Amino acid sequence: MSGRRNPATVAAKKALDAWFLERGWKPFKFQKEVWKAIADGRSGLLHATTGAGKTYAVWLGALMAFMAAAPISRARPAIKNIASTSGLARKQASTMALTVLWITPMRALAADTLRALQRPLEALQASAAEEGGVTAMVAWSAGVRSGDTTASERAAQNTRLPTVLVTTPESLSVMLSRADAREVLGGVRMVVVDEWHELLGNKRGVQVQLALARLKMWASTIPAARGSLPPEATRSPKSGLVIWGMSATLGNLQEAMHTLLGNDEGVLVQGKVPKKLIIDSLLPSRAERFPWGGHLGLSMLPQVIEEIADSSTTLVFTNTRSQAEIWYQAMLQAKPEWAGLIALHHGSLDRAVREWVELGLKSGKLKAVVCTSSLDLGVDFLPVERVLQIGSPKGVARLLQRAGRSGHAPGRPSRITLVPTHSLEMVEGAAARAAIAAGHIEARFSPDQPLDVLVQHLVTVALGGGFLPDALYAEVRGTAAYKDLSPDTWAWCLSFVQQGGPSLAVYPEYRRAVPDEDGVWRVPDARLARRHRMNIGTIVSDASMSVQYLGGSKIGNVEESFAARLKPGDCFLFGGRLLELVRVHEMTAWVRRATGKRPAVPRWNGGRMPLSTTLADAVVQQLALASEGRYDTPELQCVRPLLEIQQSWSALPTPATLLAEVLKTREGVHLFLYPFAGRHVHLGLASLISWRVAQYAPRTFSIAVNDYGFELLCAAEVDWPTLLPQVLKAGAPRLIDAPGAGQAHDDWRAPAQEIGGPLLHEVLASLNASELAQRRFREIARVSGLIFQGYPGENRSSKQLQASSSLFYEVFRKYDPSNRLLLQSEQELLAQELEVKRLAASLKRMNAQELVIRALPRPTPFSFPLMVERFREQLSNESVADRIARIVQQLEKAAGALPGEVASAMASSTAQEAVDSVRQTLAFGRDNLANPLAASSKPRRERRKPSRPLPPL
Amino acid sequence: MEYAGETLWLLPEHALWWPTRGALFIADLHLGKAATYRALGQPVPAGTTHENLHRLSCLLTHYKPAQLVFLGDFLHAAQARTASVFNALASWRAHFAALDCVLVRGNHDNRAGDPPATLGIRVVDEPFLMGPIAACHHPQLQPGHFVLAGHLHPVVRLRGPARDHMRLPCFCFEERLAILPAFGEFTGGWRVEPQPGQRLYPVGGQAVWRLPESKNTF
Repeated sequence: MSGRRNPATVAAKKALDAWFLERGWKPFKFQKEVWKAIADGRSGLLHATTGAGKTYAVWLGALMAFMAAAPISRARPAIKNIASTSGLARKQASTMALTVLWITPMRALAADTLRALQRPLEALQASAAEEGGVTAMVAWSAGVRSGDTTASERAAQNTRLPTVLVTTPESLSVMLSRADAREVLGGVRMVVVDEWHELLGNKRGVQVQLALARLKMWASTIPAARGSLPPEATRSPKSGLVIWGMSATLGNLQEAMHTLLGNDEGVLVQGKVPKKLIIDSLLPSRAERFPWGGHLGLSMLPQVIEEIADSSTTLVFTNTRSQAEIWYQAMLQAKPEWAGLIALHHGSLDRAVREWVELGLKSGKLKAVVCTSSLDLGVDFLPVERVLQIGSPKGVARLLQRAGRSGHAPGRPSRITLVPTHSLEMVEGAAARAAIAAGHIEARFSPDQPLDVLVQHLVTVALGGGFLPDALYAEVRGTAAYKDLSPDTWAWCLSFVQQGGPSLAVYPEYRRAVPDEDGVWRVPDARLARRHRMNIGTIVSDASMSVQYLGGSKIGNVEESFAARLKPGDCFLFGGRLLELVRVHEMTAWVRRATGKRPAVPRWNGGRMPLSTTLADAVVQQLALASEGRYDTPELQCVRPLLEIQQSWSALPTPATLLAEVLKTREGVHLFLYPFAGRHVHLGLASLISWRVAQYAPRTFSIAVNDYGFELLCAAEVDWPTLLPQVLKAGAPRLIDAPGAGQAHDDWRAPAQEIGGPLLHEVLASLNASELAQRRFREIARVSGLIFQGYPGENRSSKQLQASSSLFYEVFRKYDPSNRLLLQSEQELLAQELEVKRLAASLKRMNAQELVIRALPRPTPFSFPLMVERFREQLSNESVADRIARIVQQLEKAAGALPGEVASAMASSTAQEAVDSVRQTLAFGRDNLANPLAASSKPRRERRKPSRPLPPL
Repeated sequence: MEYAGETLWLLPEHALWWPTRGALFIADLHLGKAATYRALGQPVPAGTTHENLHRLSCLLTHYKPAQLVFLGDFLHAAQARTASVFNALASWRAHFAALDCVLVRGNHDNRAGDPPATLGIRVVDEPFLMGPIAACHHPQLQPGHFVLAGHLHPVVRLRGPARDHMRLPCFCFEERLAILPAFGEFTGGWRVEPQPGQRLYPVGGQAVWRLPESKNTF
């Protein structure tokens, strides 16, 4: 307010102070700081713990600033005149045009945010009506636009958007694609990005960065016509747009702010509100000897029930939706009288169901809610007293975020209780506490130049009024994600939307956006335009089917792949109820209530979050303590017997040692290695190490990873004690040249090159031998519009999409290997999925550690969860024929006991004959056709006995 | 392979060879599928049509059949009827002018329309009877005949030691019916679960393999 005594400002401040006081609140220092910064027209990032009052800090600041700037007493009569003379609908004329955008990462949050924004606005408007002072605010309206907005509301908004619009990144991009985007959004003077930490690290955040760059450009070129910010703001040399982000605790707040604001300066406001945080664990009476991975920890149920009974309202967080379903059901079975008092909340449930649960939480009617990350974000549930976390919290920041759900009001303590689902997770509890005490919290980084998002943005902008390439290039370079975008890459993206790629010959018949006679790029085809708007967004989900009662209400969605496995009459657990599938019709699974039968639990292929480095390091620290015999915390005490078994059968990993275990079973040779670097890095390390070993002789490896380590399983003998020390060293000898390891495209991958150099090539080569890049390609193909997801409600299965994207991948690799989206899928895989920087750091650290190799007589507590892990990756550089031969041989053996043709055939041909005839078959095939596979097949080994081939009759 | 008293060869090139009649059968060529995608706004690189025809030419040169039978789905869609696809087809046909070509109409052909008459391909509806063999597109039973069909694009998932697994196109044989893998390159696959009384012959590594008949090996 900086001393200006504008009567409107004074009145507004008075009204808002009164509104604060009414609630018995006093503005915090950080809130005042934000108010002042906004009044001065500055942008920034506000960081404060959850429940500290971030929303009001930014929103009240905005209200005060806009009131101060608004034309005073004349505003109202002017509007009245317009209304009476033009005869427009009253509602339309009496509201101000869109001025403030409030971006929230979750649709579910939009309605709550709107309510929170409306309260002080209404108070202001009421006091204005009394005093007749702040008339401008009377003309303000507020609304929501998201994927949940009804068609009729949408239609009304299309004629006139509210003054304050709460929206999601996707809906904002859709608005940018409107032909009148500039008219509609050009008047925006302030953008608030809520929960920026949720968007920062992913492509949705990049989408926001691009949209902000566009809004900034409009705001700086259009003269401020309506209710703009104070003169200081409009005088700002860079832009007339004020941007504020709100973020929970992060390790790199300064960087988070720069990412949000692009090149502009900003104020980082830290909200230091004293908040008491309690972290403890529920400990089982005894640690199981073998810690199963993926075990749901239901043995802890009685203790969990006890805790819930003792508290007023509890949130029970699980890591997956299936886990939530199972826990909810188990709790109901244990406490039938709690029916109606406990509820279930996850992202696949119908919106109406979720809203009912949220309402019940707010009013304090519910005793407990079992939920997933769907309740992670900032809805205020004041009555929540406790938070239980089932399973690993995966990261320190996430643990803090969830803890903040309890005592969600200034001054009240937060309490989170960890419920371990397997024994080793108890160590994580102690580790998390130690990490928080030491102030170790994870950082998040924006993705670097994701081309798929850029390609999508190009078409969006071409639809939203068109663009001139040079101007847009400058605008895009203004974002943090694309600040180093090279002219080359830019030119490629342009040619990609125009003709599919730089060479016309590769994609005849294809075009999407093209320049018109004035050089403005537009989308000429209305059908393509419609399709693009349908597909805006960067979230790639599996096809889902809605679940609905026969002749009744909708319950939610399950993944199509799950529904496809069910037959009518089968039962499954969903939405906390036991349901029987009656029939599947046009993407709806019709169900009725069932009783008594054993149910299946739906699986959702949500991303599996890796354990963060911060937390993993803290875990190893704890293990080191244990190896010295120091079991100081209750958690370590409890897990002591298990850790002692691990230590006596093998060893405990410590910061100074790298533990490797080798076990031989009927399946083959297992290697277990424990770098404690999180599952993504482990996958990269596992691929790399198996790739290096496979350079000595062609091999097929099955890879299992978890957050502590990974397993490499090979059917053939591998001399790990000799090989492992060699392959861990960077630059292992290359005995076989990596086939097609993408040497052609070093030039544009330069930034990544600096990190890894030869290592990067090796990881890429190892990836070529696995299916990982292909899976990543699916997301990229979808975001860049290579693959069309289908219209909503259209009867088209996205199994087709999955099939198509792997087909696409093959075709691209064969016919357009230098396609940058293909390269991006590799690079993204490296950067995100495998976190190549972290991988390089891990490898370096592993080399510095002392390698401890133990041959195991039996699986250890650490190796067991890996052995039983069912979700596996594969890496192979063996020839396809070799692998088939081995598989068929095993099948023959299994079938050998059966009488009949196979057995007699086996008897009549000796092993050597079999080998020879396989050779003949192969030779026959090779002679005739040049097959690309032939190039990769290696000399065959005699050791295996291939099956009897087809008799060449 | 003896079926219906005839010797049939399963070729690793996703084709079936009947030496007695000098007939070569291929299913589900799906020519112009990539062109169809491009016309619908999805940038699939060109090259699959030429590759498909090239593989077909190699087969024809080697076996020198008198007759070539397409078991349906020759063209992918109406949008596939582009000049480049037809030019490629015409030059391919010119190389094998003496060859007797028969197309048994499949579901895609009904929508895509028959290939142009200049290609000299006889177009017939299923079943196309050839002595003991009935050439069809949709898998079906024809009394008194052994049926060759396509349509499904069958693939099989194999599991091996050390948790090895692979997904391979396959021939799928029953007592009176054989389903061929898709010949076209840019085509997907439909996973078959082995049924009793069914024999699967996966194709991979330039060879056709025989799986033992057993229910519990999968």
